Formats: sequence, structure tokens, C-alpha cells
Amino acid sequence: MEKPEHKVDQKVGKVFLIFAGICIVALPLIVFSAFSSEPQEMEMGTTVAETRDMDFDDNGKAIFENYDRISKDYLEGTSTGRTLSEYYSRRQFAGSPPFIPHKVKEPDLARVECLACHARGGWTQELKINTPITPHPEQVACRQCHISMTEAKLFAENDWMSVAPPRLGRASLPGAPPPVPHELQMRGNCIACHVGPGTVAAIRVEHPSRGNCRQCHVPLTNAQPFSRKRNTIN
Amino acid sequence: MDITRRKFIKSAAMQSAVASAAVLFPGITFGAWKNVASGGIEWKKTPCRFCGTGCSLLVGVSGDRAVAVKGDPNCSVNKGLCCVKGYHSVQILYGKDRVTKALVRKNGKMVETPLKEALDLVASKMQETIKSHGKDAVAMYGSGQWSITDGYVSSKLFKGCIGTNNLEANARVCMASAVTGFLTSFGLDEPMGCYDDIDQADVFITWGNNMAEMHPVLFSRMLANRKSKSHVKIIDLATRTTRSSQAADKSIIFNPQTDLALANSICYEIIRNDWVNWDFVKKHVSFHKGKTNIGYGTQDHFKFKDKAETVDFEAYKAFLADYTPEKVEKLSGVPAKDIKYLAALYGDPDKKVTSYWCMGMNQHTRGTWINNLVYNCHLLVGKISTPGNSPFSLTGQPSACGTVREVGTLTHKLPKGVVMKEGARKLAAKIWDVPVENIDPKPTYHTVEMFRALDRGDIRFMWIQVTNPMVTMPNLNRYRNGAKKDGRFLVVSEIYPTPTYDVADVVLPSALWIEREGFFGNSERRTQHNEQIVPMPGDCMSNTWQIIEVARRMGFEKQFPWPPETYIEDIWNEYIQFHDNPKHRMAPYKELQEKSGLQWPYVNGLETKWRYNAKYDPAAEGDSFDFYGKPDRRAWIWLRPYEPAAESPDSEYPFWLNTGRVLEHWHTGSMTRRVPVLHRAVPEAYVEINPDDADRMGITNGAKVKISSRRGSVTMKANINGRGRPPQGMVFVPFFDESYLINEVTLDAFCPISKQADYKKCAVKLERV
Repeated sequence: MEKPEHKVDQKVGKVFLIFAGICIVALPLIVFSAFSSEPQEMEMGTTVAETRDMDFDDNGKAIFENYDRISKDYLEGTSTGRTLSEYYSRRQFAGSPPFIPHKVKEPDLARVECLACHARGGWTQELKINTPITPHPEQVACRQCHISMTEAKLFAENDWMSVAPPRLGRASLPGAPPPVPHELQMRGNCIACHVGPGTVAAIRVEHPSRGNCRQCHVPLTNAQPFSRKRNTIN
Repeated sequence: MDITRRKFIKSAAMQSAVASAAVLFPGITFGAWKNVASGGIEWKKTPCRFCGTGCSLLVGVSGDRAVAVKGDPNCSVNKGLCCVKGYHSVQILYGKDRVTKALVRKNGKMVETPLKEALDLVASKMQETIKSHGKDAVAMYGSGQWSITDGYVSSKLFKGCIGTNNLEANARVCMASAVTGFLTSFGLDEPMGCYDDIDQADVFITWGNNMAEMHPVLFSRMLANRKSKSHVKIIDLATRTTRSSQAADKSIIFNPQTDLALANSICYEIIRNDWVNWDFVKKHVSFHKGKTNIGYGTQDHFKFKDKAETVDFEAYKAFLADYTPEKVEKLSGVPAKDIKYLAALYGDPDKKVTSYWCMGMNQHTRGTWINNLVYNCHLLVGKISTPGNSPFSLTGQPSACGTVREVGTLTHKLPKGVVMKEGARKLAAKIWDVPVENIDPKPTYHTVEMFRALDRGDIRFMWIQVTNPMVTMPNLNRYRNGAKKDGRFLVVSEIYPTPTYDVADVVLPSALWIEREGFFGNSERRTQHNEQIVPMPGDCMSNTWQIIEVARRMGFEKQFPWPPETYIEDIWNEYIQFHDNPKHRMAPYKELQEKSGLQWPYVNGLETKWRYNAKYDPAAEGDSFDFYGKPDRRAWIWLRPYEPAAESPDSEYPFWLNTGRVLEHWHTGSMTRRVPVLHRAVPEAYVEINPDDADRMGITNGAKVKISSRRGSVTMKANINGRGRPPQGMVFVPFFDESYLINEVTLDAFCPISKQADYKKCAVKLERV
């Protein structure tokens, strides 16, 4: 094995240990919630509200409105049905559009079918899992980017590499809120991916009812420390 | 935590994903990819490599690898969104079978050869061929995927230095009817409008154009407009039901080829109801008719020249009498009330109408005519050259406009004007620093005829760059057999093994778009620059530099003097001298470097969004419209009749064959099939059959079906109630799959004016296998 990769694995190992610790503490809660919430029909609201651009900064109002119409039940819903490894296994790099992991009927109605489930979330009896919510419901031509797989074999092998997905738990101080480690384009609506039973357990927040995520979690856009020199426009 | 476990998770996750959504793994953060050493990403802009929409991408670079893609929010085309091909586009760099060394055929076998030696051979073989068979025995076949500089240096070498007009590009079979449509109706190529029309229009009418799959980013922009305004309507006019029909407010299916009658019928209704914008028509339109019964070009050496005759409005009105909605209903299968509805949409003075089309109208034996006829619908009501009112011809390749149409890499063209005009030859000779006598005033072969010439032996040497004609030529058997004949020498510049690579005598390894600096030009007159973002692998070289190397070996050092550090900028600066006028001025290099594309005419630091309208276009005179491309400064309405297709179904071959693309694959799939997620979504081609036809013939989904025409046959799996649904009596086959060469079945008939082949209509029979 090459050296750099080994290093990454060590880091991942540490993250795993920390995560395992959290899991042990959280296990009773998760088990409890698994029993209590999964079989119920749980929706974000009775109807899909008007969807508009939800952008982290440029259109923050939409994020608040979206938060407002989500039921308390949903906000507090948890499940163990989805893991981070599974999440990344559907992507070619962190932030790429994931493929569709379930069967899709053809001919599809390009604008309706996906959002019927993925705009509001909730338990799906057909697939026996809580549905993940799209962070960009304003985009209605879903299958322009998300496609379903029908074949496992490749036409030709590909030597693809990308950067490691962001580490979890990047808080600067113990107990401090971690920054947002990913790109925000098309993913500015925090609640879609970090709250509710359809989300990946490892990145779900434990305080879902607070609606103003951005008061504590700020984007990590620059890894360099402050420098007076660099701060001048040249 | 070892690599085996990681591999296991990757493969297991793939399988589980295919089967169901709910497979659990321990919560460990592994990606479905190998990690690069460094974690940092730097984002660099580039136009997308695929279709003609011209989305701007931000490519994430880590070390010397492209590792991610996001949409460029600074680009007005896509505003930060891409399609699935764009998001995964950088994976085309890393297919393990990438061509990175030159190959030369020695004793029938392809042998890895030093690049210098391969380039020596290309130059000497070309010189030898010219000496023994004359300059018109060597040819170059390029592409709408050529960077602008690739096309420019090939034109300079072939037309300016060697002195042959044997230069064509695959855009001939993709865009030529759009060009002749523009030239005959407006006198100048390329659209008057731009993508801003998508946000402004009230009605969208798509003519044989499955935008949901072929131009998905523009289609979703249309959907966003409809969502924000409740009155916006999308009408899909097509010969087969597709995703676009499903998303449209109304889907109208017409019989193949009858779009000609349909467009005339819409105009008949506009006049009958007096929805004509008389003010516009009287000031800005003139009426013309051309030849009829113009043939189909299926014979070698076919020649046609149209002759325009000016007529008046009354003659036009009399001509349209044959196209009442009731008569056209019988021919087209479209109910008269739907034709009247379409006419009412075009005719409503309160509605802004934008029409879109692409291959459905261009790959058509009357492609020029149908382009003219859709312009007629807009011209009669004056809905043109203003925001939201736009007849808009889309392109399928990233630089069909930028390289083929603007540089003029076609047999009759020069970067400005045509070879037949002395003034155009003089300008080119001056800028190129060659004797004017070098430039031959006679065009030679258009694409189909060029491959016929190769088959006949009139052409002996052909250099093919960035295209895969051994998959895409219609009536492929003839042209592949021709290319393989003794005494033919084929040079192929490629990035992956393809069926064209298979017949090559020399393969030159090419750099991919972001492995070199370059320019593309999209459908809306937008020029887009990209810098070199990652290094080229092995001996790969830009197509531009390959041509320069060969030109220098042939003794044209003076015409190809640029140093490798600045050659792209130097060529740009030379090229834009051709367009230095307010009708076509291009943006300067420095500004293109900074911006996510700029639209020409680019005058005094401003882009031109709508041409022929003095409010927006610096070249337009007066205070309203000025169609300055034509000598009468008017847009031309053409009297173009319905004429049948070159080959229609009969009792022996009872089905129409229609061919095209799918969302996931682009053209012949030589790039997209090497992208895991795209190949896994659509691993092979299939034949779409109408469920009633399938039922009648006892064909079930997935069953093997043999499709035969008078030219060839292919056996593939049936697809019933799949993504698209042809009407009864038609089958559809996507052409991306080299294992099922549907072009062995298609017909090499073409539009006599544009010489663009019709890939959408020929007659076939089906058999269960």
C-alpha cells in the first residue's frame, strides 16, 4: 500500500474510534428510535410547499421557510437506515450527484415522480426505508443529473481518483460547533441532509429543532491562517 | 482497516445499489474512489466537453489530477448547474485504455512508435500522395469538437498552404442544414437570439428536439421559467414520445417528414386569421421561392444548385392554399385543431414564442427547407430578435459553431466568406501570408461525397481528428470498406481505441480538452476559453500542435511560426483579424481568459445578445430591425413545399428507422462509455419498439430483434415501454454503441442544399431472432 493512503486510513481509523464511542453512547437512543419512528408515515408537511432556490447565503429566507414547514416529529426523527459509506458509494467524488439506488419506472414523468418522495421525505413502505430529502427541490428535472444503474460491469477500467471525503468532527475546540466542510452549491439547505430519519446517522445533528444552523456552523473556505500580508488585494 | 475491506465495500455497495436501497454497512467514511495524496482542491473554469449548450464547469484540481466538477455560477448559460455527463466529464481523462503513444501499422499490425517518427511519416505520406495523385487526393476530416485553433490551423494548412479544399468536419452531418437555413433566410450564419430568451418566453415550441435528454441544462431552465410563471407553456412537436413530451404541456406527434407541411399549415392559419404582423412584414420581410423536386443525393457525384426567385405576398398566400389544416391532418396525422392551436400560439400578439430544434430538423433531406419554414412562422408574426421571441437552432457539439461554422472548416468556406469569392480568397491569403493563387476557388467534396471519393480512390490520404466516422457515417458498410481498401492511408488522432482507430494506418495520441489550452464556441455565439488544467499523459499532444508539426515538416515553417508557450494566444490573435467588423467581432484573448464565455459580435467591450435589432446590435442601422445579412436588408420568407422522404416504409420494409442519442451517452460513446456511472446506467444500445407493434409481432422486452434495411442489418435487444416510445410503424435506435452499428442500416441520402445526411428516416423490417 502506498504511504499517503496509509496515512489517510490512520486518520479514518481515529475518526472511526471516536465515532464508535459516540455510537456506544447513542446506541440505546438509536435502537429506541428505530422501533418508534421507522414504521410510521412521517412527512415534512401534508403538501409539498412551493419550492424555490434554497441557497445558503443568497436566498436564506427559503431555508427558514422550509424549516418552518417541517413537522417537529420529522425534525426529531432518527433511524439507522443510512450510513456514510453507503452515501459515498453512490458518488464519484464528494459532491457529485449520486446515482439512483432503486428501480425507477419508465417512461418516467420527468417532473413529478422523484419529488413526490424526495421533496418531503418520510417512510417508504415499498423500499422499507426513510426517504432522503433533496437539498435542491427547486430543480425539477431530477434525472438530468441522477440516473439509475442497470449494469455492474464496466466498458473499460477507469483510473479515477478524487480527494478524500471531509473528515467528521472538525471542531476547533472540544465541544465547539464544527464548520461546514463541504461545498455549498446546490447543498445550502442544511436541514435536508443533516436532520430527520432519512439522513445519514453519522452526520445528523443532535439538536434538530434549532432552525438557524448558520449561527454556529460556518463554511470552511480557507485552510490558511490569517496573515496581514495575504489580506491585501494586489 | 485494509484495502481488501475497502474493495469489498465498494463492490458490495455497487451490487446492493442495483438491487435495493436498504443495505447496511458500518458507519465508516469510505468513498467509492481511490484518494489522491493531497486533500486540497483548486477550482478552474472550462466549457464542458460534451454538447453545444456550452455550460461552464469548475473543475476541481488536486495536484496534477482533475478530481471533481461543479457548475460555474458565473456563467449565464448554466448558472451553476450541469447535467450528469458534465458532472462526471473529467473521468474521461482516466480510462485505462487511453491512447498515450503513437501507433503505426507495420505489416498489418499496429506498433508503438516514437511520436516524432509517426509525425515524419504523416508528413512524408501526405507529400508522396500529393506528388503521385495530386493535391486533391489528400483530405482532412475534423469535427465540431475541435478546439477553434485546431480548425484554424487545419484550414490554413489545407486551403492556404497545400491548396486543396478537401477539408470537412463532422458538423456537416450535424449542423449544415442550420447553416444553410440561416444563410438562405438571413444571409448570415448563427442565431439572432440567446439563452436569455428561455427566461423571457411565454411559449416554447420544440421541433423534433428531445431537450430533456439532449440539452438538459437548457430544458431545466425552461422548466424553471414555467414554474415561476403559471402561464408558460411547453409544446413538444415530435415523431416519437420522449421525456421532453412527458414534461411538456402538450405533446404532438407527426408522421416523419411532414414537419414541412405542418409549418406551412401554421403559416396558412396565421394568414387566414390575419394574425400577420403587417408592420413588421411590410418593412422587414421579402418573399422568395426556389427549385422544387430537388432530389436526395444518393448517387455519387450528385450536384444541385438552388436558384432564388423573388415573389410577392399574394404568391406566398396562393402557395399556402395546399396546406389547410384539414389537408395537412391527413398527411401528418396531426389533428387540424392542434395545428390551429399551434398557429394561435405563434399568432397571439401577447405571447412571446421561442422555437427550439436540433437534429430532428437538421438531419433531414429537406433540412434547409424546414429551417426556412420555421423561420417563416416567426417572421410572419414578427417574433424574432427580441427577448423571448426567438427561432433558435441548437447545436450538438461543443464547438460546431465556434470551430466549424465560424472558422469555416468546410470545403466551400474560408474563415471569412467562401472560396468562390475573390475578395474572401484575397483576405485569407493576406492574413495567412500565402500567394492568393494557392487558394482554390472551386469547392471539392462535402462529407458524404468525401468518403465516397475515398471509396472510389479519388482521395488516397485522409487525416481524421476528434471524430469517429466508422461509427457515424450513414450507409456505413460502403464507407468502412472504402477506407480499408489498398492504397488508402488513414491518420487518426484519438484518445481511445474506436472503430475508426481500428482502420487507421497511423494513430496520433491527442490531448483532451483540459489537458491543453483552447477555445470552444457554443450555440448562442458564445466563445469560451480554457487554460491547460492538468498535464497531458504520455506522448499526447494537442491537435493544433500535431497539425503545426506536420505543416512544418512539409515546409510551411513561415505560416506556422508560433512558439509552444503562446501558440494558442498567437493563433487567436491571427484568427480574429478575419472577423474584425461589428457584425462578427470576437472578444480579445485576455477577456476570454477571465470571463466564462463572451458572445460575439463583441463590440466596444459589450456582448450582443440579440442581432438584427438596433436596440441591441451595434451592426444594425436605423431604430428598429435591420436584417443586414441580405442585400435587401430584409429577412426572407421562403415558399418551400412538402416533399416526401428519400425512402419511406413499404410492404417489404414496413418500419421507419429513427436514430439518435440518450442522456447518458454522447455521440459514439467513446468518451462517456469510459465513465463508470454513465456506462452502468446505459450499458448497451437497444431498439425501441411501439408496444402494439411488439405485441402483434410477439416481441417481448429484451428479446433479440433483427433490424434490416436495403443496406445492412443489426441484431439487438428490444426495448418496449422504455424511456422513449415510437409510434406504431417506427423504431428508434441510439447510435452510441460500437457493438451495434446502426449506421450500417441507415441511408446516405442528404439535403441537396446543405449536403447534411438524414439519420432520422429510412425504411427497415424487423424479425424476431
